[in-house]
Amino acid sequence: MSRQISFNIFRFDPQDDQDKPKMERYQLTETDGMTVFIALNQLREQQDSSLQFDFVCRAGICGSCAMVINGLPTLACRTLTANYPDGEITLMPLPGFELIGDLSVNTGKFMRELAERLKLWLHPKSDDQDMHRLENPMAPEEAARIYELERCVECGVCVSACATKQMRETFVGAVGLMKIARFEMDSRDNRSADDFYHVIGNQDGVFGCMTLLGCQDNCPKDLPHMKQIAYLRRKMASTIL
Amino acid sequence: MSTKTRVPTAINGGPFGQAWSARADGLQSLAGILLGAFLLVHMHFEASILLGKETFFHVVQLLEGSMFSSTGHGFQIVTQIFSVFILVLVVVHAALALRRFPVQIGQWRALRGFMSNIKHKDTRAWYWQMITGFVLFFLVSAHLGTMILNPEIGPHLSAERVYDGHAWLLYIVFLPVVLVHGIIGLYRVILKWGISSNRPLIRKIAQILIIYLLCLGSLSLITYISIGSELLHPVQPFMPK
Repeated sequence: MSRQISFNIFRFDPQDDQDKPKMERYQLTETDGMTVFIALNQLREQQDSSLQFDFVCRAGICGSCAMVINGLPTLACRTLTANYPDGEITLMPLPGFELIGDLSVNTGKFMRELAERLKLWLHPKSDDQDMHRLENPMAPEEAARIYELERCVECGVCVSACATKQMRETFVGAVGLMKIARFEMDSRDNRSADDFYHVIGNQDGVFGCMTLLGCQDNCPKDLPHMKQIAYLRRKMASTIL
Repeated sequence: MSTKTRVPTAINGGPFGQAWSARADGLQSLAGILLGAFLLVHMHFEASILLGKETFFHVVQLLEGSMFSSTGHGFQIVTQIFSVFILVLVVVHAALALRRFPVQIGQWRALRGFMSNIKHKDTRAWYWQMITGFVLFFLVSAHLGTMILNPEIGPHLSAERVYDGHAWLLYIVFLPVVLVHGIIGLYRVILKWGISSNRPLIRKIAQILIIYLLCLGSLSLITYISIGSELLHPVQPFMPK
């Protein structure tokens, strides 16, 4: 038999000068296999068309529907309402990002700035532009290692789950460090450890990470943040010490 | 770039990779490891009182370098020199750890807001590590100050200090505070540098160690109080039969 579930949802429109942040309560009949994402769509279609939240893929691939669900930052499309036996679900926007409205935050702007700041693109070893030259093959093991980190969907959960990032806005956060680790292990990338130290070898980079492990514990893609940040820390420290 | 993620990096022309960031991080961890290791052995040395006054007496004599003494007694200056060394380590560790403290009201507000919205055990553990670290700076100074100025250690002299000198008031607070700070610190430094990535095991060991050392330290303290309460005045140093 279907049960009634309650949603307490953060509401605020920063564009409206008269608006004040508040929590609003909604009731909904739960259906089999319902996710928070499905519930939010039903609420918007049936009860409140002004409700703002983001989604694209509904399959945990785009990372758009990240929000704080009952105190845990995660993806709404991968969270079953059945996970909450008391039927009480509180939704808050991800902290640490520019608020667009209600549950919608601007992670894209943050990720773009981060990419520019840390130069998160491949810096090829060769500037040979000959299109007819065959590319060097990559060892399958290396490809697998890179692919492991390429799974990041830039949802922003690791940033929101990091108290260090919340206290120090200039800290790059786990997503930046993971992406640096991804290029550091890519044999096609021309940058040396010194070059990487240039962008993350400071208190806003890898040496500012306090190992609170919120990134590791909340990442919806189970990426190995702890291991990769420790690897980068050792690598960066060994270039100096 | 928005002000939210504006940072002094190579991108916007400010300082970037800083050599001292790596050194400070490494030095803080090294000092922490040394202090944590010292805490583990110190707890066991002083718990030798549980095996009797004679055992404790011989342990103290041995640690004070009795093997280098023609009389078979140790040198109190060893305790004083070692206490000064530990105090220097504490000062270095604390000075470097201050980089991590939220030093502005806004940072405290961000941390409190974060902890009330997002439930994360390791962040909460770090919060308590930070609070205990602050308290420890005063408690450790008091304890080491006593050891430097009044280095007489022995079954009777130590018990007299604990009971008649009311040092138990210090130790009853000092014991849980130093254990929580030290063991959580060791747990985090292991994960921070990737010494081991078996986090569940390390966490379990840390929890067991805190409980074990708390019991050990409490029993030792009770024993010192018990010995102290039975001493005749003026107190004579213990001499083995």
